Amino acid sequence: MSQALREFLLKKAKLEKVFNWGVRWSLWPVHLVTSCCGVEVAHTAGPGFDAERWGVLPFHTMRQCNVLLVEGTITRKMAKVLRQVYEQMPEPKYVIAMGACAVRGGLFWNSYHVVQVDTVVPVEVYIAGCPPTPEAVVRAFIMLHNKIKGKPGPGIEPVKVDLTPYLPQPKQPAKSA
Amino acid sequence: MTARTPPKCPPQGEHALLQKIKATLGDVFIDHGVTPEGHLCVMVKPEKIREVAATARILGFDHVLSLSAMDFPTEKKFLVMYVFASYLTPGLENQLLHVRTEIPRDNPKINSIADVFPSADYEERECHEMFGIWFEGNPHMGKRFLLDPDCCIDEKTGQPQYPLRKDFKVPDWGLMG
Repeated sequence: MSQALREFLLKKAKLEKVFNWGVRWSLWPVHLVTSCCGVEVAHTAGPGFDAERWGVLPFHTMRQCNVLLVEGTITRKMAKVLRQVYEQMPEPKYVIAMGACAVRGGLFWNSYHVVQVDTVVPVEVYIAGCPPTPEAVVRAFIMLHNKIKGKPGPGIEPVKVDLTPYLPQPKQPAKSA
Repeated sequence: MTARTPPKCPPQGEHALLQKIKATLGDVFIDHGVTPEGHLCVMVKPEKIREVAATARILGFDHVLSLSAMDFPTEKKFLVMYVFASYLTPGLENQLLHVRTEIPRDNPKINSIADVFPSADYEERECHEMFGIWFEGNPHMGKRFLLDPDCCIDEKTGQPQYPLRKDFKVPDWGLMG
């Protein structure tokens, strides 16, 4: 959709509600599985939880999807791939960071080669857990629904914690009397 | 080092392989021992490592299972650890041969065994970029193998840093999130 036509439809013809309704019920996630969270997403899309009730259809090409589901640790080499995948997706696009590894590095949080997803691409919704349950994934999609609707409810935001006082300190040299 | 540091070589004991190695190579060991699993462990001088590898080849060990290093910053030494194993030789099914050698930390150079055991090539390249040990004779020294090309570079000097050394610090050390 060209930018001018989009402006006309959304602003002049007041079709924004219809547009958002359409986007909301067809959130097609593309996976970027780099660790074990992919299993939970498979479970989410399976018959037990059936995320297609909320329009979530796991699909296989980023060029036809509008949600990027980052599942797992993103290393510096993988960050380039993540950015490429994000740039290939059509507008409107949303990013969900799933699991402790994608949110803040998780188990590998202080590593030399692990980056956080929100330093590479803008993240809409975070999912906490290691790994998150399928219910948490479904809840993230419902949070994304509410964001698109314009009524964002309570979200999950990672916090920054300074752990330097708790690290092993170098030994102080003994003071001479 | 603290008292909790494990010894570099397990306690001495009798082992059938020890007599065989002594028969071909002579008594070149600094120390030797038997691990709790019943594997022979020998410590040799770093300049003897190619002869020990050739002897292990003659004895029937056909691949290098693992090659890594340990950093002892207070002693200013690297402990390079080789583990030889065998797939096919009868009698060596459950045997591993540990070979360890100490090299100085300020000039870490050791001869490559990649032409004797081709499976040691990747391990040497990984050990080179993680610890900065220069394996002389390996054609891939001085290149990046697993790490991102932009990562772990000293900003002031432009020299590569080695992330598995104990004096390496990640930039946001101690900050969770």
